Amino acid sequence: MAAEVSRSPVSQAADPLRDSTLPVLPALRDGTLPVLPALRELLPRGGLTRGSVVTVAEFGLLILALAAGASADGAWCGIAGVPEAGMLAAAGLGLDAERTLLVPDPGHAWPQVVASLLDGCELVLLRPPAQAPAQVRQRLEATLRRGRGVLLVVGDWPGAQVRLRILTQGWTGLGDGHGRLRACCAQVTADGRGEAAATRTRWLWLPAEDGNVSAAEPPDIPVPERHLQVVRAG
Amino acid sequence: MSAPESRVMVLYCPGLAGPRTARAFDQVLTAVTAFCPAVEAVEPGVCAFGARGPARYFGGETALAARITAAIADLCFESQAGVADGLFAAYLAARAAGAPRADTASGICPVLVIPPGRTPEFLARQPVSALAGQDATADLAGQDFAALLSRLGLHTLGDLAALSPDDVASRFGAAGETAHRLARGLGSRPLAVRPPAEDLSVAQEFDPPEPLSEPVVFAAKALAERMHEGLAARGLTCVRVQVRAVCADGRENRRLWRHDGLLSAAALADRVRWQLDGWQVPAPSTSTTSTTDTKGTTSIPDGTIGSTPDGTTDGGIVVLRLVPDQVVHATGHQLALWGETVVSDRVARAAMRVQAMLGHEAVLRPVLGGGRDVAEQVNDVPFGEKRQPRLAVGAPWPGRIMGAVPGVVYPFAREADVTDDAGVAVTVTGRCVISAAPAWLAADGVPPLRITGWAGPWPLSERWWDPAAARRRARFQLLTDDGRAWLAAVQDGRWLIEGGFWLRAGITRRCPGASCGGGWPGAPRTSPAQRRRCHNDAHRTTWLPQRRRWPGYGKPSFRGPSCTATPPIASWTGRPRPVSS
Repeated sequence: MAAEVSRSPVSQAADPLRDSTLPVLPALRDGTLPVLPALRELLPRGGLTRGSVVTVAEFGLLILALAAGASADGAWCGIAGVPEAGMLAAAGLGLDAERTLLVPDPGHAWPQVVASLLDGCELVLLRPPAQAPAQVRQRLEATLRRGRGVLLVVGDWPGAQVRLRILTQGWTGLGDGHGRLRACCAQVTADGRGEAAATRTRWLWLPAEDGNVSAAEPPDIPVPERHLQVVRAG
Repeated sequence: MSAPESRVMVLYCPGLAGPRTARAFDQVLTAVTAFCPAVEAVEPGVCAFGARGPARYFGGETALAARITAAIADLCFESQAGVADGLFAAYLAARAAGAPRADTASGICPVLVIPPGRTPEFLARQPVSALAGQDATADLAGQDFAALLSRLGLHTLGDLAALSPDDVASRFGAAGETAHRLARGLGSRPLAVRPPAEDLSVAQEFDPPEPLSEPVVFAAKALAERMHEGLAARGLTCVRVQVRAVCADGRENRRLWRHDGLLSAAALADRVRWQLDGWQVPAPSTSTTSTTDTKGTTSIPDGTIGSTPDGTTDGGIVVLRLVPDQVVHATGHQLALWGETVVSDRVARAAMRVQAMLGHEAVLRPVLGGGRDVAEQVNDVPFGEKRQPRLAVGAPWPGRIMGAVPGVVYPFAREADVTDDAGVAVTVTGRCVISAAPAWLAADGVPPLRITGWAGPWPLSERWWDPAAARRRARFQLLTDDGRAWLAAVQDGRWLIEGGFWLRAGITRRCPGASCGGGWPGAPRTSPAQRRRCHNDAHRTTWLPQRRRWPGYGKPSFRGPSCTATPPIASWTGRPRPVSS
């Protein structure tokens, strides 16, 4: 019975990864950590491939949302080098604060700290305090492959399997002296190496009005507008 | 007649006489124990011990009392000492020591020594109210008995002592007889000293000094077993355990580890290993991590302990000592039935390793609690400590800003300047009226950003009853033309940035150099080609917190929606566009 239930979505949908409403099948999860449904299309296997490095250009909600899916699924998440991580927003996205370790200031020995965190946590979010030398990167990647974890890096990491960037962002709900911030529509693009080489771009509500992440529908998507600005009078 | 009364010294700390100062008084007791091991804590703020032996050792009662009061003064507590025959007289002498007297040059001397044999003479001058509070007269309701004696015309203990014992006994019974004996300087109860605390620590000496960490860790396992056996035999456990390692050159490395009675001998040996490993992590002199409590030693990470950066070993471990800290009765440990996340060994091991490197406070677990501001709703608790929100979760907390929560929350709010179109700073009055619509936002000295949308002020005035925690502030949400949204507040006339909602900074590639120009008024204008050239490797580095400047400024690539009052989704302007994929 259980086998039937788990198999039935496959028979109904041609590609289970394309349909974000379906649960990820256990067979597919062996090599990946789950992500929030709206983010699946951006990642090559519909999840964070174990042993891989995923970079996000800058710290913000996107990288917290990437970590949220796996954390909600039971993985421990270590956050190193980001003292300003908004845990309340992260918890709203699904990151479990109970299973989170924060190392706000990993200091000069950050490679050892990250290696130790990778031994214990399946997911480590890192903003390196300094540009990582190639040797340090290789050693961390070896630790990563051994521990079957995923390293989410804020910033640049040569050799990362997947790179995510936000192209545009626009908040709704705030007027001129009234209203409040409600939701943000963002265009996210992903590229990388190997199976992630093809560039994928998606519009997302990050966050949506209910605090979650969802795919933006075409009518919602804002058009970037060029505003003329007075640069110099006369 | 009974045997002559023994010499007793009483130490009286006027500031510690309350019931809430037990911890502080315990420090005093520990300090006194250094002079005389057998000390009785008579009541909060009062302790007594036999003075004969210590006085002979330290060269006289006055010298001993002076040394002890000086030691207590080092702990920042005030104390008075009195020495007399018997506990009762010594107690009165200690109380009287603080009063100004004519026989000392300085006026107030915290030590009063009644010479042997002259105690009855000293007692005779004391008022009968001194009997109040003594155990012997407790059944006579203390103060009432003293008041009764006063009404009978007996104002001092000398008056009482002058009466015949038989008369006192027939009038006041056994309790009166006891009071009469006290007044004559007799019949004080013997001291009930507390035995000195047992030393539960265990130590291992290494001779010759051990330069490698492995044998030390191996010895630590046996040591931990010995310590656990000692604790278990007494039905005790410890909350924390302190590991002290002493080097041959005298340096000492000590660190407290959480124990809670849960660590096995092997796990404790692991802590010792991590501590010794952490001691080896090379620390540059510019390091500002103050959380580590190692002595800042540097060494080469090759498994050699306590070696200097140039590779010369200046000694190994001489003594390893495990000291149980906060010893409590062993009552076992029970997990909650629901809602408690069990920290697996693997995670705990990783967290402890990092703690060994960076210090106990370096690894935190966030606890979501109550509160009105985003920063106070998250409390960070060091790993291994009890996770408890500082403010109640269930309360409604009116005054919270509803809606989106910032993904970036600064540990310390950053100062900012918000000005209106004319360049005048925007202020908020006490009645929460804003002086002008905010138009420009400048934070951390970077060029100002144009504000395209704002909301507020949302006032917050809380904890007015507590001067230390009281604050009044007006919160704002600001939207700047680079697409970012900010959570700002005005407090004490200053603008503070508490957090940000952005997903990314304004431009895709940031150019800190002036060559690429920016989008703010007055900035040098450069051509797009110039700006591309500026995107060299040095300028493409990611933003790091140490640089203390905002990520990304310059020409905005996306304008937020022009401000409308309509609901969010409908507020987008422009025509719909299909998803680009």
